[in-house]
Amino acid sequence: MATSMKRRELFSSLAGIGASPASPQACTGASLIPNVPLRTHEDTEVRFYEDLVKGRQVIINMMYAHCEEFCPAITSRLVEIHQALASRMGRDLFMYSITVKPQEDDPAALHAFARMHGALLPGWTFLTGDAYDIETLRFALFRHDHIKFDLDPASHTAKLRIINDAINRWVHVPPMASKMTVLQHISWADPPKSFEERLEDNRKLQLAIDKEHALYGYRKIV
Amino acid sequence: MRSWNVLVLLLANAPTLLLAGNACEQESGTVRPDPQQYYMILAGQTDVFYDHSGPTFVMLQRTAADETDVGAFGIYAGERKQPVFGPVPTNVYERFVSESRKPADVLLRLSISKPQYDRALAVMQSWERRVRENALLYPDIAMDNILLVKQATEELNRCGETIAGYELDWGLQDDISEHNVASRIPYEYFRELARLNAARHVADAKQTLE
Repeated sequence: MATSMKRRELFSSLAGIGASPASPQACTGASLIPNVPLRTHEDTEVRFYEDLVKGRQVIINMMYAHCEEFCPAITSRLVEIHQALASRMGRDLFMYSITVKPQEDDPAALHAFARMHGALLPGWTFLTGDAYDIETLRFALFRHDHIKFDLDPASHTAKLRIINDAINRWVHVPPMASKMTVLQHISWADPPKSFEERLEDNRKLQLAIDKEHALYGYRKIV
Repeated sequence: MRSWNVLVLLLANAPTLLLAGNACEQESGTVRPDPQQYYMILAGQTDVFYDHSGPTFVMLQRTAADETDVGAFGIYAGERKQPVFGPVPTNVYERFVSESRKPADVLLRLSISKPQYDRALAVMQSWERRVRENALLYPDIAMDNILLVKQATEELNRCGETIAGYELDWGLQDDISEHNVASRIPYEYFRELARLNAARHVADAKQTLE
């Protein structure tokens, strides 16, 4: 004999994260990213969050013009990254290189550094400012939560910070990782793709995997 | 009667002192007689907050014949006995310095030079600005306080070793950071500095202008 049972849903909402692309997540970038005043290598005053980061996907590193150890190698790696993503640069993707030695690096020094390294490129801005503001920014973006590392000027080279403020996604990657690894990390902060785009990406990836298996007998690069 | 100026106001109103590259030249140059005296006081307690840590702050004092500038900055107990990071209220540090203390409390009073005082004041001004602008460097005030006490005390030895120091850097040789939670590190650091510099401690009675 059938008995009637009262049924209650344990969860009132059936919507999960990602279920509805039309309902964006709350963005907390403004509370996380200092809106400090800075000057660009073209000697223009900007506000870091409002003018450079808000709603954008950005790649940020710290450097200084007379750094002779890692900075030139990292800058040339960033030039490669810029070339690989040239079609997006200055459109929906931006690069910011911030000096850790603002007392030494005025806009002219940064402009000369960028020119010397072939980095005067669209969508790539070098930034300087007040030492107090740079320190605030450095801790907000690159803090290790370890006193020794946080106070070590050399530690500025350890990370590239990638932020997509529109979807509140933060990623970091060592700048001297392989170009492919850096590009992959940048893609992790890309805007969400449609279902059709993801199907097409997967189809292409499977083709590439099959091709490598046919050529080498194993998956080599993809 | 000597007047007491509260250094917190001085911190808020004075132009920021920048640490110039030649900051040590003034210290190593000819010493002119200075009628004023300068002190850095490191104060710490334990077993006040829920995690058994306690107020730990740095005080600066400048005394002249008829006036004293004094101010303190660090972690102190708020109205609900919660840890608060910022300029320490006058009644809090005065009570700590004047009242009889528990054996576990730390109080190290060091006589310092004017350049040392100016540099330490610049550090504290910078932190006072960070509190005012809600621009602290760490999400945990215990970490900010570690940085404050480290920066302020290390200014004493910037131009040569004037006190016996301890390298608080979370490195391999830093036993204090290795064996203590962040909220307790400044207290243990002050305790170690007090042990290393016991002979340099200026007792209340030795303060000529007290």
